Amino acid sequence: MTALRKVMKLMLIEKKDIILAIICGFIAGISSVGLFAASGYLISKAALVPPFYTLIIVTSMVKLLGLIKAGAKYGERIYSHRATFTILSNMRVAFFEKLEPLVPHVFQKYRSGDLLGRVVGDVESLQNLFLRVVYPPIVLFLVFTSTIFFASFYSMAIAVILFLGFLLTTIVIPSIFSFRQAKINGRVRQERGDLSSDITEVMYGFRDLKLFQQLQTKQAQLLTQSEAYINEQKQENINKAYSQSLNSFMTFVVSWFVLAMGAYLVTNGTLEGLFLAMLVLISMTVFEPAAPMAVFPIYMQESRDASTRLYDVVDDPDIQVKQMKPTVEHLPVGPPGIAFREIQFSFMGDWRTTIPNLSLSIPAGSKTAIVGASGSGKSTLLQLVLKLQQAQKGNVFWNDQDTAFVSREAIWEQAKVVLQDNHFFYDTIRENLLLADDELTDEQMNAVLAEVQLGHFSLDDPILEHGENLSGGEKQRLAIARAFLKKGHLWILDEPTSSLDAQTEQVIYKHLFERAKGDTLLFVSHRLNGLEKMDQIIVMDHGEIIENGTFEELINQQGYFYQMKKLEESLL
Amino acid sequence: MQKLKQTVWRHKKRIYLLVGLTFVLGLAIVAQAFAMTNIVDGVFLKDQSFAAITPSLFVLLLFLLVRAGSDYMSKRIGVSIASEVKRDVRRDLLTSYVGRSISVAGKGQTGKKVSMLLDGVDEMDSFYSQFIPQVMQSMFVPILALIVIFTQHVNSGIILLVSAPFIPIFMIIIGLRTQKKSEEKLEKLASFSGTFLDTLQGLVTLKLFGRTKQQKDALEKSSLGFRDTTMEILRIVFTQSFALELISMLSIGIVALELAIQLIIYESISFYTAFVILILVPEFYTSLKELGTTFHNGRSSMGAAQKVLEEFEVKDETALWGEKEFPQLDVAPTIQLDNLGYTYPDSGFQLRAIKATFQPKQKIAIVGASGAGKTTLLHMLAGMIAPEQGSIKINEQALRNNTEASWLDQIAYISQHPYIFSGTIGENIRMGTTEAVDEASVHEAARLAGIAPLIESLDHKYETKIGEAGRGLSGGEKQRVSIARAFLKKPRIVLLDEPTRGLDLATEKILQKSIEKLNETATVITVAHRLHTIKTADQILFLEKGQLQAVGTHASLLETVPAYRDMVTIQQGGK
Repeated sequence: MTALRKVMKLMLIEKKDIILAIICGFIAGISSVGLFAASGYLISKAALVPPFYTLIIVTSMVKLLGLIKAGAKYGERIYSHRATFTILSNMRVAFFEKLEPLVPHVFQKYRSGDLLGRVVGDVESLQNLFLRVVYPPIVLFLVFTSTIFFASFYSMAIAVILFLGFLLTTIVIPSIFSFRQAKINGRVRQERGDLSSDITEVMYGFRDLKLFQQLQTKQAQLLTQSEAYINEQKQENINKAYSQSLNSFMTFVVSWFVLAMGAYLVTNGTLEGLFLAMLVLISMTVFEPAAPMAVFPIYMQESRDASTRLYDVVDDPDIQVKQMKPTVEHLPVGPPGIAFREIQFSFMGDWRTTIPNLSLSIPAGSKTAIVGASGSGKSTLLQLVLKLQQAQKGNVFWNDQDTAFVSREAIWEQAKVVLQDNHFFYDTIRENLLLADDELTDEQMNAVLAEVQLGHFSLDDPILEHGENLSGGEKQRLAIARAFLKKGHLWILDEPTSSLDAQTEQVIYKHLFERAKGDTLLFVSHRLNGLEKMDQIIVMDHGEIIENGTFEELINQQGYFYQMKKLEESLL
Repeated sequence: MQKLKQTVWRHKKRIYLLVGLTFVLGLAIVAQAFAMTNIVDGVFLKDQSFAAITPSLFVLLLFLLVRAGSDYMSKRIGVSIASEVKRDVRRDLLTSYVGRSISVAGKGQTGKKVSMLLDGVDEMDSFYSQFIPQVMQSMFVPILALIVIFTQHVNSGIILLVSAPFIPIFMIIIGLRTQKKSEEKLEKLASFSGTFLDTLQGLVTLKLFGRTKQQKDALEKSSLGFRDTTMEILRIVFTQSFALELISMLSIGIVALELAIQLIIYESISFYTAFVILILVPEFYTSLKELGTTFHNGRSSMGAAQKVLEEFEVKDETALWGEKEFPQLDVAPTIQLDNLGYTYPDSGFQLRAIKATFQPKQKIAIVGASGAGKTTLLHMLAGMIAPEQGSIKINEQALRNNTEASWLDQIAYISQHPYIFSGTIGENIRMGTTEAVDEASVHEAARLAGIAPLIESLDHKYETKIGEAGRGLSGGEKQRVSIARAFLKKPRIVLLDEPTRGLDLATEKILQKSIEKLNETATVITVAHRLHTIKTADQILFLEKGQLQAVGTHASLLETVPAYRDMVTIQQGGK
């Protein structure tokens, strides 16, 4: 419920359109009632042969009301839909904004296809919240009150019937249906979300699935899921049709009662026969917009589910980033010294503690390599500096500044990063490089491409989704090029050249060290060759630093690093 | 369009039922008007007693019930047809996606495909569930009402007849415009989905480059673009409704006025006739107007269907496979590369004249600088890419004469980025084979791949859940899962793409052992950077810029090929 309230709050930003829609809706409703009342009165009066001018007045009223109704209806539709779709657009963006700080944590719990399903599908289904849940009852209520008030001048009894009919069609029947709907509800959305994430996964894993010939099985699974989804949809639609038909039948019944009561009153002499036709037509018209109220509970429930599903993710306590309000928005320009103090870290919901207790300091302007077995916590150290992960205990310092108080943007502004998996967007190489800096000229970008041995690439070459058209080595080099082009004095490189052949790697290292002169450089290396130049080598195992020193010192120590080196040589 | 109509005719029986129900509905509407008039006329002008009209009241109630009932039934039938059509289309579309070759499937955005399969298919719903039943009602009810009105009072009939043609004309003009727009709308939604998914997954990168704000703006723009397209469609629809509303309201007014004049001045008709007509006229227009609203839904539905159907037309190279069933290999085969050549259509990169023969159980290393064409060659061997020149022969038989499935049964492919599905580790290993396997074989495969100790150390062991794209496993661990799959499959040909990428030394050693183990029964073809792999290879294919420079053992290449020698020296740390 609170989720729905949050959605409503977002909705109210479009106050102006909402009010306009309600006003237009009311005018349209009331003029339509008036139109039929006047026509009924007109022919009844005509049957009694009245003076001609009465006829003229009534007829012009009929025409005028017709015009007003058509105009008001148009306005109502435009305003209500404009409001709705702006609201939806606001919501997508709002959801993205809320989601943004939760990345990458959010992926540990939610699949990206699922998130896509929520942002596209669930937000889309919220369009009914305003169009069918919030504003029709308001308009309906206004129109009914006025009509009942009008009818009460002619016959109290008929006014009462109209009132009861109003209660029946807008409150009683919808409530009964909301009860029915509660049983099947939520399942449609759920099925849709599941289907969406599973399709996404199959598409991503397409190659492996194909090679392992699992596509048929997966396809069968998806079809079963689709079947379940369609059945739920069908159930819902049938329920919708049923309640709509029942409600429209009820409105007929109310008109029938008005007719019966009116006829009785006329034979009784309490109601002038002249008004009977008018009242019958009024009752038929006023209930016309009441019929859609039958589906009110369905949309209500749907909106509630959709908003809950949306806010479930962003409010999920499992993936919240516990962050103090940063007080430092900018860090001084220049190579920083980095220090880790008594860090303890484990991944959310993970089975292992990645780092039990670690302290380390990296002097400003130094070049540090981190080596160790896979899963020893090397990458985690880098992510802690970047605040992509948060330590459960301990602090990371940027010079003398505890980064807990520094905004993440301030750190990123200073960092030149190559991660193990680098994302490229579905766009050209130019656009992907321009991420680093908007001001870059083509010459600058081409020069850097040449440095990373990608001189044969044109800036206009397209990159497919996930860099599908690039080899592993090309992706790495492109990521390095992007880091070269970015401003900052802290290099954070996580196995940046692991897919490259040794030859290319050497050339790139040469350029890298030229560019990183004077900067602080943190470098997770997959191989031990070429580390002689580093100021400091950190050897990690199971989240602990087991050795620390220059290449020479470590070799002379004849410890773990020495063993690794021996192993590497034996492999050559 | 043609296809859309065909799908309707698959449900012939239901359509006839729908026609019948519409007929009943129309009759009920007319009967209701007469019954009502009877009552009003009875008490208003004929001074009948309440008792006298009571039977009419109950007859009226019956008509109302029939009206609501037939309306409900036709809606229900519409829903059933829609469900079946959606099921069929989604199945066909999925089959088409799944049947695509890897090179074709790699193109295009996943988000777009997902959106096609979900939104595209769902949008087709309203065509069947609303549009078709409504079209029937709107064709039949007004005609029936018009006939009845003509029999009652010709002038009113003429007024309706004059105003009515405006309605279909409006709808045709506008409907055509909305269809194009709604195609655009689906396109916009699909592109929004694509942008969103891409943004979401690249969010870490965006953050690091301080680009979140810009991307948010792009997303907002994309989202607002979608709104504007939607509004454009709606504006057309609403203008159309406005025009229809105006026509109907004015016509009703004119009819009422004409009736009044006839009543007073000429006294040529009775109140009874006037009232019947006054009740029927709104029914006439309401039906037409409702057609207007559903017409737009139907049109957008058709637009969506169009987009979905276009997906079926994507050209593919699956046809390049033959019909023969590849015989199950019991021992590793001889593989011949006969002058293979391939040119990438996008980049123009060429792989030329690759000639080699691999003996059973040999260890083959494909070597060369990045971009030399190693992976392309491997893809060709796996059957993911069809060679443009030359052919691959397995035991003297051309590979491409066989069916794709029977060939894939023979090989294991271990890629740089093995895909790990959300599910348990056990399930992920079991994916290696299409056959049913027992727990023990899975454990054995994990043991051989060197991942068993890790799995055993977990609380839930083989039942441990791993997330989308294998989050929670390191690169080396993913690779080992992938190798475990291969052990489970027991193939005679193993294809490896840089298997030792980014792994630490201990893991590398484990993997090498595992691969040697696989090599005992299979030919192993590796795209390799590591000297260890290269040195022990029986044959090395040394590629440079898409050309096969030399074939031979490590020792012979060191001696005869200078470029090869340079590469190796650098690998060993020399300058």
